[in-house]
Amino acid sequence: MKKLPLEGVRVLDVTRIIYGPWAATLLALLGAEVIHVEMPKSGDTLIRLVSPGGVFPRNLSPGMMCCNANKYFVAIDMRREEGKELIRKLAARCDVLMENFKPGTFDRWGIGYRQLSEINPKLIYVSMQGFGNWGELWERPSYDAYAQGITGLAEITGFEEAIPVKSQAWIGDFLSGTIAAFTTLAALYWRNKSGKGQFIDMSQAEVLMRAMDWTWLYISLTGENRKRYGNRDPAVVVSCIARAKDGFVAIAAVRDDEYLALCKAIGREELEKFVNYEKRVENSEEIYNAIEDWAKNKSVEEILREAEESGFAASRVMNSKNIYESEHYRKRNAVQIFFDPIYEELCYPFALHFSNADLKVLWSMRPVGFDNEHVFRRILGLSEEELRLLYEKEVIGKWDESIPTTAPPEGKEDKAFY
Amino acid sequence: MEWNEIAKRITDPKDSPQKPEALEGVRVIDVSYGSFAGLFASSLLAEMGAEVIRIEPPEGDIARKYSPENLKVFDQGLAYFVESRNKYHITLNLEKEKGVEIFEKIVEKSDVFIHTFPRDYAERIGIDYESLKKINPMLIYCSIHTHGYEKGFNFGDYDVIAQAMSGFAYTTGIPEDYEEFPEHTRVPTKMGNWMGWYAGGAFAALSILAALISRDRNGEGCMIDLSPAEALMCLNNYALHFYHLTGKVIERSGNFEPAAYAYNYFRAKDGMVFIAGYTDPNWKALCTIIGREDLVEKYPTIKDRTNPKNWIPMTREIEKFTMQHTRKELLEIWLSYKGEGVTVAGEVLKPIETVEFEHWYERGALIKIRGDGKELIVQGVCQKMSETPPRVKWLGRKVGEDNSLIYRKLLGLDDKEMERLKKEGVI
Repeated sequence: MKKLPLEGVRVLDVTRIIYGPWAATLLALLGAEVIHVEMPKSGDTLIRLVSPGGVFPRNLSPGMMCCNANKYFVAIDMRREEGKELIRKLAARCDVLMENFKPGTFDRWGIGYRQLSEINPKLIYVSMQGFGNWGELWERPSYDAYAQGITGLAEITGFEEAIPVKSQAWIGDFLSGTIAAFTTLAALYWRNKSGKGQFIDMSQAEVLMRAMDWTWLYISLTGENRKRYGNRDPAVVVSCIARAKDGFVAIAAVRDDEYLALCKAIGREELEKFVNYEKRVENSEEIYNAIEDWAKNKSVEEILREAEESGFAASRVMNSKNIYESEHYRKRNAVQIFFDPIYEELCYPFALHFSNADLKVLWSMRPVGFDNEHVFRRILGLSEEELRLLYEKEVIGKWDESIPTTAPPEGKEDKAFY
Repeated sequence: MEWNEIAKRITDPKDSPQKPEALEGVRVIDVSYGSFAGLFASSLLAEMGAEVIRIEPPEGDIARKYSPENLKVFDQGLAYFVESRNKYHITLNLEKEKGVEIFEKIVEKSDVFIHTFPRDYAERIGIDYESLKKINPMLIYCSIHTHGYEKGFNFGDYDVIAQAMSGFAYTTGIPEDYEEFPEHTRVPTKMGNWMGWYAGGAFAALSILAALISRDRNGEGCMIDLSPAEALMCLNNYALHFYHLTGKVIERSGNFEPAAYAYNYFRAKDGMVFIAGYTDPNWKALCTIIGREDLVEKYPTIKDRTNPKNWIPMTREIEKFTMQHTRKELLEIWLSYKGEGVTVAGEVLKPIETVEFEHWYERGALIKIRGDGKELIVQGVCQKMSETPPRVKWLGRKVGEDNSLIYRKLLGLDDKEMERLKKEGVI
């Protein structure tokens, strides 16, 4: 069997909600062994109880399932000294620890970077915060939508004539988690050379700001705020979303040949005079008007066909049904359907394609404490008796039957595979 | 010493220049064209200390021209200036045989190769994976394109296509039936920034590092086939998972969160605030703060609160309180709450207000530089590391600025040979 890129890397994931769990899942999908820690019984309530309409099919939490694949789930009460001791023991045997508790919490509990790096100097300790572990705003709690708000990302999205719009997706969590995973791997690469671990301080607001392309230069150069440009890109011309007869399409034509092909396809050869890129930007309103006028009388299918025949880029504004049914995505394994031993057939998006490793989603989220025995026996070498005592003292635990999304569906209490 | 002081001491960007770099010794060739997915991927690697060599055609990458109002700093578009960081810039005409010959010699001496061309084009000029693998079997080859490394697509890699193909634009925007807003604004909406490109670049850089770590162990290069559309699709919450589970398509919901309430924006006296308090105890905390315990009784469960019919009525009730206060006052009210439950309030700002916090500058997330006779603000780095901090070393090199430096260093070309190549239109 081919080795996975991060095989042999062990990650202790003591994170909550989306941002941290997603970062750790990326490492798990790349082949790392990831141990996700929650509170016994209720687990991570801030995500286990998140679902549209408050429905939880097969005891799954949509909020949790999208950012916790391929992990082992344990439940430790870290408020208890024996719980902290378990974290220390696990951290001693891990390459990476990720946490997103309020800055300073782990330090106060004696399981912060200072203490754990003494036990394990090779440990990479990743603290994932709204605003980071220090600086003017360090004490402020954060959520994705706050990060989208305070950075101005929401303010630059949408139409000037309406209101600022945030993405429905928790992009402040997901993008920041992706960058956190990248940063962790940079630290791991260096550790493999130098033998030294380190402390990483992430701020989700700072990640979003990093991704806001020309916003900050524009403001400082002009002294003006960045407006909302709706569905027309003012800097990349042509790049827009337009209304068709029966849906919406994205259209892009940037290289000269693409732009000329577009002018021809929409029957507006007089716009060819703007082929010079700067002229295109200058006259973008006229160009976008022409495209929108053309698109509104065509069906999405017609537009896609004409784009393909002429040589510019176009795509339907796809919804999850379109994506699910797309042959292109199925063929590329970007839409993966797999059989989860607890939750049965599931479907995940996927973007990590390597020629020398067969990466895939193997399983989804798991019930609270589902993998306690596996992890504590195999990694810490605890005996049956030691485990029994930890359960008895409620230092470790399992799910709460009264909260469905913490528990396995009926008959699946023992369906894990390792 | 308090933890936050210690954290500052060990990660203060002021000390970065004295510290080592994580990716020192890694050479990256980036020939991306017209795509900020490629440029962001190589920026992330360059910030970490990789030696990134940008290869542009002699007339420069069209991405240099992407700029609102055609604004320029140091003769380049604003966006390119940001992602030019720490990169060496050379020119090479890959459409000439001699150009590809030189290119192959550079590839032999490199660890990572990034491009954003359609596969057919890469094959036609001989820079496809099969060809380059023969020259350098240890090479990590990263192809970035919205449609992936697939035949039959001739166009470039564009952000808006990724935003559309990922399902992201579909779930963003104001719903059709919110008639208080003009009709043309109640549509699927692309993110204001190039989120498709930035997501694609982040995934590419992540994949490249995983491949580098793996290569150190097994001695083998590989090919990474990265689609920014698929990357952004992975960041679109549970939309696809949920469709498969229930057959229901998640629709756009403006600034409401379909899976939790309160978790949205509210009007204040002077703008908008974000407020979260969505599990039962946290909802109760929110209602306590605004003195409206009656709302706990009226909307007691998650089911009641995630019912779209209740979103606007609940919001109007909460706004009766928030509209009496400024954003600043609301923040203070929320921060001073010491009762049961966790609820968060935060301001929604215009970017021109965002830049006023000292926070970003002391942490190096934003940096100030001189240019155009002004103090300009540009992104620094968004991660702090205690031992190998990423950093910005330089910005804004011109097309071909590093030709003589790089060609001499890598290929031992002298001035005469360079002059000849220039005449032949190769560099």
